[in-house]
Amino acid sequence: MPDNWGFVLAAYGLAALVLFAYWRRLIRREKELSASMPGHPMSAPASRTSLE
Amino acid sequence: MTRALGWLAVVGLVAGLVMGFAVAPREVTQGNVQRIMYVHVPSVWVAYVAFAVVFVASIVYLARRAEGADHVAHASAELGVLFTGLTIATGSIWGKPTWGAWWTWDARLTSVAVLFVMYLGYLLLRGMIDEPERAARYAAVLGVVAALNIPLVHFSVYWWRTLHQPPSLMKPGGSSMPRVIVWALLVNFAAFALVYLYFLARRVRLLRLEAEAAA
Repeated sequence: MPDNWGFVLAAYGLAALVLFAYWRRLIRREKELSASMPGHPMSAPASRTSLE
Repeated sequence: MTRALGWLAVVGLVAGLVMGFAVAPREVTQGNVQRIMYVHVPSVWVAYVAFAVVFVASIVYLARRAEGADHVAHASAELGVLFTGLTIATGSIWGKPTWGAWWTWDARLTSVAVLFVMYLGYLLLRGMIDEPERAARYAAVLGVVAALNIPLVHFSVYWWRTLHQPPSLMKPGGSSMPRVIVWALLVNFAAFALVYLYFLARRVRLLRLEAEAAA
């Protein structure tokens, strides 16, 4: 059976893309909400990393 | 805590890639295309876990009307849809070179598609109702009912004649797979489970923030 590396790369690439896009969406939405609620304790200071 | 979980998930994903590409051997029958299983199988396992969490959190919400339980159910349903979508897409990419078709109306594939649509409906239902308490209540009922489809998906390969193979790991009598492949699957499952937990923590926090902003 041929190895079909193109299909393997497509599957892994798609998974990476989907997970990364979802993560970015969460970060962006969190930043938007934090910005709209400046006094809120969950508003993230600029020094925090995205994984926090 | 969330930060540590995020870094653990990154480490887990790297370990999963090492197991899937460097440690696990090329499968004799399928060739390297079998390596797609290290994404496809953990994705569906995590989707099962996510929907089981929706089921439990929905029951807790219906019993106690706890807003936290509703947030967990909502976040977990979203992640379940995400991982089910990934399962369907990666399965389709694997199916083309292996079965010669991107899709077939096989019992397993169809029941997974129904599961996907049911939880998509769950998210749509939440979005359609403006009143948060009513949306949470209706969604909780659907979250309990939709979970009944999970055993149907798992046992579909036994109850109907299917093109999809029966479970290789979670089957009566134990697995007959080589140990290294089992380990590659388990490491990738652990990595995906960490990703799920990390996303769940962030999504629940976001839902809480959204509820406070709307109040």
